Amino acid sequence: MDLSYTLVFTVFPYLCLTTFVVGHSYRYVTDRYAWNARSSQLLDNKSLRWGTVLFHLGIILTFLGHAGGLLIPQKYYDLFGITSQMHLAIAHWMGEVVGIAALAGCLLLLRRRLTNDRVRAAGSVNDLITLGGLTLVVAGGVYNVFFGNYNVLDSVAPWIRGIVFFSPEPELMRPVPLGFKIHVTLAWALLGFSPFSRLVHIWSAPVFYFFRNPILFRRNPELTRKVVDSRS
Amino acid sequence: MKIRAQYAMVLNLDKCIGCHTCSIPCKNVWTNRDGAEYMWFNNVECKPGIGYPKKWENQEIHKGGWHLNGDTLQLKAGGRIHKGLNIFHNPDLPVIDDYYEPWNYDYARLIESPKRKHQPSVRPHSRLTGKPIDLKWGPNWEDDLAGLGETGAGDANFKNLEIATYLQFRNVFMFWLPRLCEHCLNPACVASCPSGALYKREEDGIVLVDQERCRGWRYCVSGCPYKKVYFNWKTGRAEKCIFCYPRVEAGLTTLCAHSCVGRIRYVGVLLYDLDRIAETAAAPSDQDVYPAHLDILLDPNDPDIERAAASQGIAPNMLAAAKKSPVYALIKDWRLALPLHPEFRTLPMVWYVPPLSPVSRQIDPSQEADAIDRMRIPITYLANLLTAGDEAPVRMALQRLAAVRRYMRTQRVEKQADTGVLDAVGLDEETVAKIYRLLALARLEDRFVLPTKSVVQDEDSYARQGCCGFGEAL
Repeated sequence: MDLSYTLVFTVFPYLCLTTFVVGHSYRYVTDRYAWNARSSQLLDNKSLRWGTVLFHLGIILTFLGHAGGLLIPQKYYDLFGITSQMHLAIAHWMGEVVGIAALAGCLLLLRRRLTNDRVRAAGSVNDLITLGGLTLVVAGGVYNVFFGNYNVLDSVAPWIRGIVFFSPEPELMRPVPLGFKIHVTLAWALLGFSPFSRLVHIWSAPVFYFFRNPILFRRNPELTRKVVDSRS
Repeated sequence: MKIRAQYAMVLNLDKCIGCHTCSIPCKNVWTNRDGAEYMWFNNVECKPGIGYPKKWENQEIHKGGWHLNGDTLQLKAGGRIHKGLNIFHNPDLPVIDDYYEPWNYDYARLIESPKRKHQPSVRPHSRLTGKPIDLKWGPNWEDDLAGLGETGAGDANFKNLEIATYLQFRNVFMFWLPRLCEHCLNPACVASCPSGALYKREEDGIVLVDQERCRGWRYCVSGCPYKKVYFNWKTGRAEKCIFCYPRVEAGLTTLCAHSCVGRIRYVGVLLYDLDRIAETAAAPSDQDVYPAHLDILLDPNDPDIERAAASQGIAPNMLAAAKKSPVYALIKDWRLALPLHPEFRTLPMVWYVPPLSPVSRQIDPSQEADAIDRMRIPITYLANLLTAGDEAPVRMALQRLAAVRRYMRTQRVEKQADTGVLDAVGLDEETVAKIYRLLALARLEDRFVLPTKSVVQDEDSYARQGCCGFGEAL
């Protein structure tokens, strides 16, 4: 077994995943105050709109596509009559559409962040690294889906499942083209970096808004005791 | 009936001189930070004018507040589905230019400049980018009607009035409108928040943003029809007037109210019926909201209400404060104070006594018109501002104010009290004495009746001695 493959395709992913899990949890517990998306819409609205909508829709669909395609083994798709060729074709075409959307969003946002005086002044280096990293990962993905022309279902997918289910097989990555290797490695790095950035807001999808009362009240817990006291 | 207590404020616009003293301590204490420098939890607007942020009263622009969709009350911008679809980009958000681009001056240039032919000058530079800017708008740009010719037509309160007439110099009128968060009974900001970070304190109705739960979705900013929730561009979170709760809990009034040199502000406790909020906010027409709002404010001196309030857990000192609440008297007993834009349907809790103004000669004096109708400030304008266009309550409040003046003058100057003027407006001498006292003479403790925060006293204080403080480090 090649040490470099073990380091890059087993140790590094676990390092990043550990940072991801521990980092997000730790930050949620200790740094709730800085846990948000740090929107800059207030400073410049017009240039944000298409960038942010394209990027978010693109990246969420991309994520769902990756999760569905890589984590669920092909044999389950076969049960529903989706052959690996159909699977690849769907992944290819969908990947092209949502990948382009996400990349276009990234580039629009990057241009805004670099050229708009207010956004640049209010932003931080961290924001630039985050957006730059996202752009690189997305660009790599888009390159692969257009020019990669490689069946990932028998190599990258089982390798990722191996990582997730704690039986890593770095050798699976040996025949994979360089473009895919760079893409996955950058993606792990981005996951590892995410707890230190504004990306923490991915956990804050406002699901409860759809079920809660419109008007919220909160009661000072000390006063609840007081009520009991005054009655007695 | 579910009784809740609520802090409320009344501002007597008849006495506001537009000095902005209220805004200054508020600014110094709460928003004197980067990212918050453009926020004015309390600001004073000169009316007519489009205000701060620009055209905040026109809900077609930023879609704040509620509206009736058929019979059901809905957020003007759209409910849950709308928020879900637009979660990545709020289409209704005002941008910072709608408020103003905050700026500063580099005063050091004055003393550090090398010797030159001309005196050194300071130029404004943006607090966002640090670059020099040309000032074209500010938080108080329209003061004393500055630029009325350009912006006046954008004032939403000119509805049903001939704007051109009132922009002529000889017909022009003005008054000031100090504004702060309304701490509404049916707050649209709270209902708009996807994270559930905004909430209303159950014990006193103050609306707050939980800074640890705010994720910066910005829907409260556009959802508030008064545009009194602000987005801190530095921290990425919403901030708003906190009704100076650290002071209020200690029994002190808010900074804006305490510092008012004209003593125009009154702060006190109101009791209201929580169960009827929904039907009140969904009153069939815009003009029905104000009477319905009055109707759910409960009389704290009614023994039934008092008993019910006590059994529902309203603290005894809160109840005692409600019983001598100056705001209850102004709002409900005397009908002098009116809500700001009740048609937004948030049931605001900062109310205003409309201003009297000089009688203008615009109308032929031979016409038998009420002097109230000949005042410089058109009743219609005040009604658009305070009662969704219903002139009757505004006229009544102004007539009562005028009657109190007239009566006091006959009593004090002419030594021949004229009670005739009182009968016409439904007041008696005893009430007038109280109104006069509260509006003209009231001392600090009459204007601000606030209980201290209730605290639990069931522990032995001596046992806790030395348990908190700075510790051994000092």
